[in-house]
Amino acid sequence: MMAIVLMATNFLRQRRWPVILLFVWILVTAWLAKGFSGRPDAGDVVFHVQQQSIYICIFSAFLAADALHTERKSRRILLLLAKAVSRADYLLAVIVGTAGLAAAYAFFSALCSLWLSARAALPSGGIWGLLPLVVAGAMLSASVAVFLSTFLNPYFATACTLALFCAPIPFHVQHRAWSLWLPGFPLLVQFLRFSFRPEWAPSWIAVIASLVESVLFWLLASAIFARRDVAVPVE
Amino acid sequence: MSGVLDYTHVTKNYRSLWSRRRVRALDNFSLSLERGEIFGFLGPNGAGKTTAIHLAMGFMRPSSGAGQMLGKPFGDPRTRARVGFLAENVALYHRPAAKLLRFYGTLSRMQPNDVGRRCREVLEQVELESEADRNVAKLSRGMQQRIGLAQALISDPELLILDEPTSALDPVARAAMRELLLESNRAGKTIFLSSHLLSEVEMICHRVAILVKGRLMTLGRTDDLLVSRDRYEIVARGVTAGSFEPLAQFTVAANSSQVPLSNSAPVPQARVLSRDANPFDRLRASSGQALGQDGRVQFIVAAQSQRDALEKIWALGGEVLSVNPVRRTLEQVFLELTNNAGAGR
Repeated sequence: MMAIVLMATNFLRQRRWPVILLFVWILVTAWLAKGFSGRPDAGDVVFHVQQQSIYICIFSAFLAADALHTERKSRRILLLLAKAVSRADYLLAVIVGTAGLAAAYAFFSALCSLWLSARAALPSGGIWGLLPLVVAGAMLSASVAVFLSTFLNPYFATACTLALFCAPIPFHVQHRAWSLWLPGFPLLVQFLRFSFRPEWAPSWIAVIASLVESVLFWLLASAIFARRDVAVPVE
Repeated sequence: MSGVLDYTHVTKNYRSLWSRRRVRALDNFSLSLERGEIFGFLGPNGAGKTTAIHLAMGFMRPSSGAGQMLGKPFGDPRTRARVGFLAENVALYHRPAAKLLRFYGTLSRMQPNDVGRRCREVLEQVELESEADRNVAKLSRGMQQRIGLAQALISDPELLILDEPTSALDPVARAAMRELLLESNRAGKTIFLSSHLLSEVEMICHRVAILVKGRLMTLGRTDDLLVSRDRYEIVARGVTAGSFEPLAQFTVAANSSQVPLSNSAPVPQARVLSRDANPFDRLRASSGQALGQDGRVQFIVAAQSQRDALEKIWALGGEVLSVNPVRRTLEQVFLELTNNAGAGR
C-alpha cells in the first residue's frame, strides 16, 4: 500500500505544473461566472458547477492516458518496475494519483462554487453531495483511460475514453433505460441534472457502480499490461 | 540450475506492430550464474545482452523458453526486492538525490529506519554524499550514473544486474566503480555485468559469456578463455639465424584480433629476445622487435605444429626453454569470436 501511495504522489509531482494550471483555471472560470455585476446569475452558477464536474473527468482521462506512454518513453518505468512493484500496483498508483488530483480539484472547485452560490444567494448543500460523484467519475475515467492506454496510443486512448462516456447520450435522449448501465453515464446524467434545489440528491448507486467499474477496468488493464513488453520503444 | 539467475532455452523475437518483419534478439539462450561470482556478459551492439537482462527483470516476456531469478520465475515482484538493477542510460526522476534513493528504497520494501541509514551509506559508497540534497537533474551524466548505481545498491541486494554501469564514467570514477563492485562481491553479492569495457571485465569477472546475434558464442572462466588452446609460445635458445627459415613453416600470427584464428594462414612470427651477433635483420623487419640478453627466441606456433616445431628446434641444436599456451587479451578473444560470427553469416 505504501508503495502505491508513494508512486501516486510521485506521479502527481511529475505533473505539478499542469495541476497548478488547473487550479488557476478554476479561479478564472469562477471569476467569469461571477459576472461583471458582482452578483452572478443562478443559471451561470449551476453551469459553472456542471462544467467543472465534467472537466475534472476529462482532465483525469488526459492525465491517466498519458502516464504509461510518458514513463515508457522516458524509460523511468524501468527503475520503478525493477523494484518490488507489480504492474497492477503501478497502474493502481496512476489511477489513485489521478483520483487524488481530482479530489483536490473538486474540493477547490466546490469552494469556488460555494463562494459563487453565496453571492447568488443560493442554497449550497448540494455542492458537497456532488463531490463524491465527481471523484468517482474521475477515478472511472482514469481507469478506463489507463485500460485503453495499455494497448493504444495515448491520444487514441483519451479520445476513446471520452467517446465511451458520451456514446450513450443519443440512446438516453431516446429514453432507452439501458443506457444508464453503461460505464460512467449515470454520473454524467447526475452532473447534468445538478441544481441547487433541495430535491436534488446524489445517486449513491451511481457512485458505487462507478467504483466497481473502476476496479474492473483496473483488473483488465493489469491483465493486459502484464503481457506487454515495457522496455521496447513505444510506437 | 544454480538458482541465482538461470535462462533455459530462451528465445525472444521482436515484431513490429505494423510490419511483418521479425527480429530474433535471443536464440535458444541458456545460461546459469553461480552464487557469489562476478559474471561478465559481453557482445557487440545488438547482440541481445540488454534483452536478456530485461527478460530477467520481467520487463518483457520470452517468446519461448523460461528462466528463474533467485529461485522464482522471471518477473516475480517479491524477488525483485532482493535484486539491484541499473539500466543502460539510466533515467531518474528529477528529485533531490537522497529523497530519490529513499523513494526507491521504500519501493524495495525496506523499513523506514533502514532506508535512511542505507541511503547515507550508498551515497558514501558512490562518493556523492555532498550532493545528497541536489536535484539529480542538475548533476553531471557520470554523477547520475553513480546515483543509478546507488539506487541499485540501496536494498543491499543479493544479486546485482548492471547494464553498462561504467559507460558515462571518467577513468577515476570507473576505477572507483570497479573497486565498489569487487567490494560488493566480497560481501557475497552475485554480480551480472554487461559491459563493452573489455579490459574491466577481464580484470574483475570470474566468468564471461560472449553473445553474438542472440546466440551464446562462448562461456567459461575468464582465465580459461584468455589462454589459447590453438597456439603455443615456444621460447628457445641456441637457434641460429639460418634455422629460422625451416621453422617459419610452423609459426602463426600472434595478433589474432587482426587475423581470425580459423582463417589464419601460417604467418612467420618469431620474436628475437636478444641481440645476438647474428644478423637477424630479416626477422626484425617482420617482427619489429629485438629484445633480451641471452640469445632467446620466441616462436608462436599452431597447436598441431607444436611437436614438429620442438623437434625441429632440437634437430637444429637449439634448447627449448619453455612451452606455454599463448595468453590473449579479452579484446582479442572478443574480436575473434565476433569476426568469426560475421564471417559465418
